[in-house]
Amino acid sequence: MMKKITILAATTALTAAIAIPAWSLAQRPADPAGHALAALEDELRELRLLLASADDDDDTHHRRGHDDDDDDDDDDDDDDCRGTACRGGGNPAPAGTVAPPQNGLFAPGAAPKAQVN
Amino acid sequence: MKSVLAALALTTALTLPAVAVSARPVTLTTTLNAYGGDGAYLVLYVTDPQGAYAGSLWMAGGKSKYYKHLTDWFRATGGDPAQINGITGASVGAGRTLEITLDLADALFDAGYTLHIDAAVEDMRDSPNEIAVPLTREGAGTPVPGRRYIASFEYGM
Repeated sequence: MMKKITILAATTALTAAIAIPAWSLAQRPADPAGHALAALEDELRELRLLLASADDDDDTHHRRGHDDDDDDDDDDDDDDCRGTACRGGGNPAPAGTVAPPQNGLFAPGAAPKAQVN
Repeated sequence: MKSVLAALALTTALTLPAVAVSARPVTLTTTLNAYGGDGAYLVLYVTDPQGAYAGSLWMAGGKSKYYKHLTDWFRATGGDPAQINGITGASVGAGRTLEITLDLADALFDAGYTLHIDAAVEDMRDSPNEIAVPLTREGAGTPVPGRRYIASFEYGM
């Protein structure tokens, strides 16, 4: 009988020795050092996310030299210049920068003049 | 003596092309309707008596990506910039008047040539062959109405 009581007392003491400190730790308000550690962990997590995001945005691997983004309408517009749409290449030379074409319609060397009213 | 001959040959060579094409100053006046859209692209070009493209006189609008909307001209030229290098200016706003003065070859008048204008406006319907007017001396100074964007066109000489 004494032996059973001794074992019961020992297990109760052991349980109390483990549980009471754990319970008190759980109830204690968080300390500043713990906060700082948690904040540091958050920063590191965000940094990892930023780095991962930067990798996603790097389009140069996929576009092979075309380092433009799709929202740039001006550049996209230039992509219309394919096939026969721009035969001879690009936009024409504005009046006054080169001589008019020798198409037999004009007197040679006489550049047309234009004005908009 | 040799230098005089050389100078004579040079001046003759320089003068000959101007003599070869007899030309007169012609003013082409195009007035647009107030159609309520962006600036119009216009191309003025000439076809020969067989209806084949002979050449361009003026392009109003500098971005070649829009030339496909000047459908008849584009069909004839493939949008080749060489056809309009040096004769290209800005597009023309609604309600505005484009006035072009050029030395046009005499041979084009009363010989079956026709002056055409194709027009196009962004986000609006293309208007090929909006103007088609025979080049005659008699027709000078007579306004011709357009079909969609052009209120009137006339050439004066």
